[in-house]
Amino acid sequence: MSSSLVWYLREFARVEWIKKFLFAKTAPLVTPTHFRGFPEPTGKTCTHALFCMMACPAPGAIEVVHAGDGWIPKIHKGHCIRCGLCVEACPNGVLKSGRIRETMEREGTSLLFSFRIAIDTELCTGCGNCCTACPVNKQADAQMGAGGHSSNDDVIMRVQEGDIVVIHEDKCTGCKTCEVSCPNGAIRIARILEGYQQPVQEGF
Amino acid sequence: MNILQWIKNKVRSRSIHVAYVDVGSCNGCDIEVLACLAPRYDIEQYGIFVHNNPREADVLLVIGAYTPGWEEKLAMVWDKIPSPKAAITIGNCPISGCLFDRKGSFVDPPVKKHIPIAAEVPGCPPRPTEILQAILSVRDTVFSDWEEEHP
Ligand code: SF4
Ligand code: SF4
Ligand code: SF4
Repeated sequence: MSSSLVWYLREFARVEWIKKFLFAKTAPLVTPTHFRGFPEPTGKTCTHALFCMMACPAPGAIEVVHAGDGWIPKIHKGHCIRCGLCVEACPNGVLKSGRIRETMEREGTSLLFSFRIAIDTELCTGCGNCCTACPVNKQADAQMGAGGHSSNDDVIMRVQEGDIVVIHEDKCTGCKTCEVSCPNGAIRIARILEGYQQPVQEGF
Repeated sequence: MNILQWIKNKVRSRSIHVAYVDVGSCNGCDIEVLACLAPRYDIEQYGIFVHNNPREADVLLVIGAYTPGWEEKLAMVWDKIPSPKAAITIGNCPISGCLFDRKGSFVDPPVKKHIPIAAEVPGCPPRPTEILQAILSVRDTVFSDWEEEHP
């Protein structure tokens, strides 16, 4: 039947067909919820670890700012590339974007920061500026004076007999305050970002 | 509103001609602009046509972080477009320089400094739907009643 001319004429004369021919539009496209958008706060408490800022590859995209008593990460549109690294690097789950958090939970993945302190003994004069500048040292030993001497074993580093000694590298928070305060550029902090995955159970 | 203006509004809302210019980018945003032409997004169903000729254009899409080679040239392209016209920046690059705006690089963002910009679409790259939405919103705000607002 569809080979006859009359059939074609009838087919094309239908109101439905003419409407479609003249006014058809593809449905307005909605962004699927699993697409990564600009990261949004989940409402969990930010502890100011600043791992989001350290992980972010785009200059000026994320800033942790004061919000009332606490802190909150602020995303700058026009800088953020929606990579989602800040969402993954946050140890407290403060940010969310698409289904990144769900995927991390399901697959047991995480991004972990660790910090290494490297001191060039050739350049270091043992002035102790880094020891007194370090905020973690300040908390461990409030009495530490200029010169960086300390009898407290909880500090990250201290000056012993004119030489700098690193005791607790693991306590370093990667803030790099010491780098800025060193007059000789002798101390360098390496921020190391590693991806981990928990072994998935059988039958998963 | 007189009848002539009404006709102009009607015609203009179905006939937006677009030229795009890349002032130094990674090409990611160019690909997304091209994706708007594909059947999935089908930019022409909204009456938007891509010509890439500034003399015919109503909307100029600016992509990229503005490299020194574009000094004066971009303004030249902008001047060639007959009024009413609007420029839209696509992506992070024209807003902030995105990943290229680092110490020692030669880019000079934002593009806002160099030509007047009507809308910015952030994202690296922005989605075709976001580009479409920006063009449609500019169409409604810039082009309708243009003669009445600029006698
Ligand atoms: S999504 Fe990526 S670019 Fe955006 S703020 Fe987070 S880490 Fe930075
Ligand atoms: S990076 Fe910060 S926490 Fe780590 S040693 Fe330097 S000052 Fe202390
Ligand atoms: S915004 Fe991102 S995708 Fe677009 S041109 Fe710049 S770097 Fe490339």
